[in-house]
Amino acid sequence: MRNVFVVIRREYIYRVRNRWFIVGTLALPAAILGVIALSAMSEARRSNRDRVLPIIDHSGVLYDLVAGRLPSSFEPERVATTPEALEEVAERARERTISGYLVLDAETLTSGKATFHGDHAPRTLTRIRMQQAVVRSALQVRLSATDSGAQVEDLLSGGEIDFESVSDEAPEEGAREIGMAVGFAGAMVLYMVILIYGMMVMRSVLEEKTSRVVEVIISSVRPWELMLGKILGVGAVALTQVGIWALAVTLLLTVGLPYLIAFRPELGNASELLQYLPAVGALVIFVAFFILGYLLFSSLYAAVAAMCSTEEEAQQTQFPVTLLVMIPIFFMSSIMEDPNSTLSTVLSLVPFFSPIVMLPRYLGGAPLWQVGLSMVFMVITIGGVAWVAGRIYRVGILMQGKRPTLPELWRWVKEAG
Amino acid sequence: MSSDIAIRLEGVTKRFGEHTAVRDLHMSIPRGCIYGLLGPNGSGKTTTLRMIMGILHPDEGVVRLLGGDPDDIRQKRVGYLPEERGVYRKMKVLEQLEFMGEIRGLARKEAARRAGDWLDRLGLGDWKEKKVEDLSKGMQQKVQFIATVIHDPELLILDEPFSGLDPINQDVLEDIVREFHRRGTTILFSTHLMAQAEQLCEYVCLISKAEKVLDGALKDLKAQEREGVVAVKFDGSDGWLAGPEVASIEKVDRGVHLLLHEGADHQAILRRGVESGAVIHHFELVEPSLHEIFIRHAGGDAVGDAGLPRDLQRAEAVS
Repeated sequence: MRNVFVVIRREYIYRVRNRWFIVGTLALPAAILGVIALSAMSEARRSNRDRVLPIIDHSGVLYDLVAGRLPSSFEPERVATTPEALEEVAERARERTISGYLVLDAETLTSGKATFHGDHAPRTLTRIRMQQAVVRSALQVRLSATDSGAQVEDLLSGGEIDFESVSDEAPEEGAREIGMAVGFAGAMVLYMVILIYGMMVMRSVLEEKTSRVVEVIISSVRPWELMLGKILGVGAVALTQVGIWALAVTLLLTVGLPYLIAFRPELGNASELLQYLPAVGALVIFVAFFILGYLLFSSLYAAVAAMCSTEEEAQQTQFPVTLLVMIPIFFMSSIMEDPNSTLSTVLSLVPFFSPIVMLPRYLGGAPLWQVGLSMVFMVITIGGVAWVAGRIYRVGILMQGKRPTLPELWRWVKEAG
Repeated sequence: MSSDIAIRLEGVTKRFGEHTAVRDLHMSIPRGCIYGLLGPNGSGKTTTLRMIMGILHPDEGVVRLLGGDPDDIRQKRVGYLPEERGVYRKMKVLEQLEFMGEIRGLARKEAARRAGDWLDRLGLGDWKEKKVEDLSKGMQQKVQFIATVIHDPELLILDEPFSGLDPINQDVLEDIVREFHRRGTTILFSTHLMAQAEQLCEYVCLISKAEKVLDGALKDLKAQEREGVVAVKFDGSDGWLAGPEVASIEKVDRGVHLLLHEGADHQAILRRGVESGAVIHHFELVEPSLHEIFIRHAGGDAVGDAGLPRDLQRAEAVS
């Protein structure tokens, strides 16, 4: 057992200190931080030119309503309807001290149409916000003629579709949708991490084999100790990296997001995202499937490397294993569509697919017993796969030359005593 | 197995497909000696050492090590330097040696201390924190040699340890091997350089074409072979040298060495020479060199490459 730890330690230190590990680990948080910083900066640099919105109200009743409804990223400015004032605001637009101005007239009250005068069309989001403010204000004016102001106010600020579940189990619809999205993101991270670190195990085995270091090591360390130590060592590297990412994302969301919202009030809704961040249960399942999936596939990748003598050979031989990791991705859209269909359920219980399929299904409302069952299946499969892979590894690492054929491989498995 | 034998091979045979790499090899390596396994390229030396190290399994016969379970003994008590120099190229020198010491049972600190001493001694003290791949080939070889001996093994198995080293470093390595020998370590090494073996070995085993030609203590072999080589200096034609007694003729400094067949009558050659009219200045039975012993017993053609291409051997190593 001591040897296993010595191997783990070597593998871990060697990989964590690697330049690419450091770059890769910092890249993700840096990218997120970059996006936040960029959008905050662009907001800070947004000049009055973009913020100030002169409004010419020919209808005479709309200005206050529209101005009140515009989000705080606009600074509405009332323009008098005198020819001098009109000429002046047009001049400002031509000189580009403002990006444009909005004209409301009598027709706005009947058709909801308004005109933006500027040197270029406003951004889609800006346009939608102006449109909402204008249309709702127009409606308010029209409805107030017959109904009481308070009723109209309620109606115009409403417009939500509430969801009420008919069963006891199903989660709230909004939570489910966001849960699925989080689950999808989680599945993609699992897919990536299993592939990246499975391949790292493969390269590590191959490196020892092609450099023949293994011939020296294997006289002092038993093959199963070397293989186990390697898989656990690389696994610890993976956990370190994913842990750093998780920590960074959490920090960015809890510390960085409010900062961002402070700069961009129109993103205020984003803070609601926080409440949908995966609960502890989902996090446990994520980590469990990561560990199980990694153990399963890294043993397969170790066996693949043991069979091969060159990098090129390994690249070819690993394909079936990689395909096995990828298959769930092909079905991801059907799974997202209906996480509880027969197809989704069956896929999630196939041990090679469970790590990637089960997390979105769980967040999409799959029962916990299915999660548990898939884990039991996986543990059994890992036992079998590790047994076979261990035997292939044991014979393969000391063999040089051509790759074994399938019958030869079978003989290795049978004869490695 | 008697306690004064470190390694014993009993009827060991290894085949790679159709080709037999080692045939029915018997070998006893006494404890505490320097033992040379000699033979031309492809004669089966590396295969033999790999079987002793458990990297290959003999098809027939047994390998015994220090009178115990070979797997246990290899784990901590043997140092093996393979022919193909394997190192973790991207690891730092000191860390690599620490790791090698640790897997052989040393505590990390102890391994680091010993690695440091060795590196200083071999002139690599300034390279401790460098990556192995930044070292020259000769330096890498030294690092690997340190890795082989860092746990102070009872048994050293070195496959062509001197190849690729310059003469100065060959001497350094020879000194270290002698030093281990003085401390009681059993040393088995393979080489195709007869002259080197002659200087270093107490015992030798000569193999050719997968089979043992002869083995034993070097001084006994030389004594046995005393009647086998004649040094001749002469003027005149050399036609008389060849004859039924002579296995081969070697040109040496001034004159020739005649390697005789087993039990040949050297006086017959002398008579033939006198009759041929050659002027013979010198005709003396001399102690043969290892090289000459080898050629007498294996025949001149045995010196040539006698084996399969290496890649083919490996491809079938486990099948």
